Amino acid sequence: MLKGEVEMNVSSLVVLVVIGIFFALAVWRVAKKGAPCECGGSRKACSRKGGCSCCDCCED
Amino acid sequence: MSKSIKIALAGNPNSGKTTLFNALTGSEQYVGNWPGVTVEKKDGILSGHKDVVIQDLPGIYSLSPYSIEEKVSRRFLVEEGPDAILNIVDGTNIERNLYFSTQLAELGLPMVMAVNMMDVVKKNGDKIDFEKIAKALRCEVVGISALKNEGGMEAAEKVVEMAKKAVVEKGPGKLPDVPHVFSGSVEHAIAHIEESIQGKVPLRSIRWYAIKVFERDREIIKKLEIGVGEMKHIEEHIRDCEKELGDDAESIITSQRYDFIKKLMDKSLALNETRKDKATLSDKIDKFVTHRILALPIFILSLCVMWFLAVAEHGPGTVLTDWANDGFLADGWHVPFTTHECRAEGKYKGMEFEDAQGEFAKQDASKSAWEEAYLEKINEGKSDDDKVEEMPEEIDEKVAATIVAKGVFVEDEETGEPIAKEDNEDEPDLWDVDFAAYKEASEWEEPDPSQFGVWVPGLGALITDALDKAGVSDTVKSLVVDGAWGGVATVLGFVPVIFIVFIFLAFLEDCGYMARVAFIMDRLLRRFGLSGKSFIPMLIGKGCGVPAVMAARAIENERARRMTVILATFVPCGAKTVIIAMFAALFFREQWYVAALMDVIGIAIIILGGIALKKTRFFAGEASSFVLELPAYHMPTVSGVWHHTWNRLKGYVLKAGLIIFPACVVLWFVMHFDWSLNLLADEEIEKSILHDLGSWIAWMFEPLGFGSWQGAAASVSAEIAKEQATATLGLVAANMDGATTGSHIQALFASVSDFPKLAALSFMVFNLFVPPCMVAIAVTFREMGSQKWGWFAVGFQLFVGYVLALSVYRIGVLVAGGGFGIWTALAFVLDAFCLWAIFRPGKKVEC
Repeated sequence: MLKGEVEMNVSSLVVLVVIGIFFALAVWRVAKKGAPCECGGSRKACSRKGGCSCCDCCED
Repeated sequence: MSKSIKIALAGNPNSGKTTLFNALTGSEQYVGNWPGVTVEKKDGILSGHKDVVIQDLPGIYSLSPYSIEEKVSRRFLVEEGPDAILNIVDGTNIERNLYFSTQLAELGLPMVMAVNMMDVVKKNGDKIDFEKIAKALRCEVVGISALKNEGGMEAAEKVVEMAKKAVVEKGPGKLPDVPHVFSGSVEHAIAHIEESIQGKVPLRSIRWYAIKVFERDREIIKKLEIGVGEMKHIEEHIRDCEKELGDDAESIITSQRYDFIKKLMDKSLALNETRKDKATLSDKIDKFVTHRILALPIFILSLCVMWFLAVAEHGPGTVLTDWANDGFLADGWHVPFTTHECRAEGKYKGMEFEDAQGEFAKQDASKSAWEEAYLEKINEGKSDDDKVEEMPEEIDEKVAATIVAKGVFVEDEETGEPIAKEDNEDEPDLWDVDFAAYKEASEWEEPDPSQFGVWVPGLGALITDALDKAGVSDTVKSLVVDGAWGGVATVLGFVPVIFIVFIFLAFLEDCGYMARVAFIMDRLLRRFGLSGKSFIPMLIGKGCGVPAVMAARAIENERARRMTVILATFVPCGAKTVIIAMFAALFFREQWYVAALMDVIGIAIIILGGIALKKTRFFAGEASSFVLELPAYHMPTVSGVWHHTWNRLKGYVLKAGLIIFPACVVLWFVMHFDWSLNLLADEEIEKSILHDLGSWIAWMFEPLGFGSWQGAAASVSAEIAKEQATATLGLVAANMDGATTGSHIQALFASVSDFPKLAALSFMVFNLFVPPCMVAIAVTFREMGSQKWGWFAVGFQLFVGYVLALSVYRIGVLVAGGGFGIWTALAFVLDAFCLWAIFRPGKKVEC
């Protein structure tokens, strides 16, 4: 199915751009607020470095 | 801009502070009914009061400087000084809670005492006279029920009012009205101390400081820089008291506090006469649940019930997971409780979907049997090189007319597909298939489920359709469907299992059982020189390893704390639950207990690993004390259980979008491109970057039974987030032709081992018990305090995970009749080393 040159048309480009935007947003969110954990909190949002809302002083 | 008002929320552990904090601030801080959940203070804005900050302090029993929680609370209350205190007190244990309240009152800050759990007090028929307590402790007293959200806001409004008033009235030299709870001679000595330290401390809390000096609190004496002469004079007063009362100063203060509380309770607490000396329901339940012999089996049984519901065949978890994986997130599903009759014209018209599937399988089996017989016939007498392996487009009708094959139809229990007679022990159905029957069978096409009954298309089908309609190229379609969506859907498909596990844990936590588990584990661990305090982070670790590692801060002893950090993540967390769920669904459908066994193995590693570590000079020492209050059992509220479950589930779903999605996009690229960045065809995957990367390290996993590039790539990618292992396997499987993702993963393990179930078990054990995800590792390094200790923790976890997987696979293979090899010998040697580390005599080191 996939071989050689990547076939490209306008709709494919649009989909690629959408994927790229989602990718960048996800990476940006993790870089800014840290990875979420199963407690639903965010580590970067915490006032204390590495803190997490399930055990530390922050609100997500 | 006006200065914000700081209100400290202080009280004993498990008195409901965090529940009240969440209710007052609208936060979603983690609440657990065992001590040590809150290690540091948390801030939140009081709802409706932008200028009021509520500060939730760790639960403590007194303002002594012994534990980390006490230090945090004491430092904040005494040095930073909030504007007022909201003291939360457990109404069902008010006598014990008042000890801390008397200390808080001595700080001289405006204080409102919120007597919590009044709903239970009333239900018990007990009566508390708030006025008498208020008068004795010189504070406001109100009754609340934090869990039912009753009275909390009124208490907060009252304390805010008092704080605002105090700010206005605040002036130098104003002595607060604080309770005097001690006997004459002690009060006399305290008065002398107050005179000596005047000017060195804020006047409002001078009494608290004086009492601490009387107790010979080193930290306070050092801080106040009391001169030698002055201290000598103070000492004389203290010694006089000690001589008169026949006890040391600290014990005098403690016992007189209790005397004061006892007298106060005699006046203000009226217990229901009919309940006196009668065992409560909690006492009766605890007779079994915390029983010396029954406790552990009951705990294991509760884990088994949880896993049975989550992963047992035909259980709710499996039914919902199958629906999510095959229906909602994939092709679609039929609306239940409706007929699934075929609407379209053709061979299936009017037929039920299940019957159509059966008919197609039978026709397909006829076709396969006849084709097999035909190929055999035309290959007769030919050399291996000349043999035709696939059906030619044109069939030799003369040869075809001579063939009557035996149709075989036996349904595979797991896949529902026909399987060959020789693979089936049961007597199969047999029928004759001649050329005409073959031609008839060839006309049957696989039934399209969307043509039957009420069909709801799944998200996967909708995405594929949308991309097809938009004319998106195959490459980009593969990136979206197989890469981004495929990986995320593999992880999301297990949400039902995670949901059942989380809801079950939330129920056990909220009803009070988990506190008993800590008690049971303390009793067990103490036998081996470990403390139950170490088990609290491990209970938290069932949700996520990161807060588990951080919760170890509550342990004062550095050696015990380090050991807890190393061991805490061995309890399979929520993300690891996905790995368990996937492998239980694919390999152990009938052996659901394998999932429960993973939790039991985790606990066993903690105990045995703890014993082994304790015997080294780095961790030797006495177990630290562990004070645990068992809350009364109660029926959890729906909102409470939902709150706990949703908070954890939300993190899991978020992670699928924020971590798994980008990781899968990257993995798709490295799986579909070679090092020269040429796009590869599906069959060229062995030239891909991912294949090469996986192959380079696959040898490490060879002894463990999954030494393929796919197994290696999945195991390494699991360090991003543990559930990524399942996403990577799903991604690799999506690239293979044929049936379902699940059958491809089964085929993957079958291709690398003659014992695929053992290889799968080994993969699962390895990924569950090696170091946790990168974030948890980073937190481990930070909490261990040094690179050396961080690497030690990671090395220990890697050793345990590898040895366990090696033993499971190699000894399993030996038992299954697969023979004895060098790796089996190594497994035995490493197991012997582990047993030696556990059972050897320990080091006796003073700590």
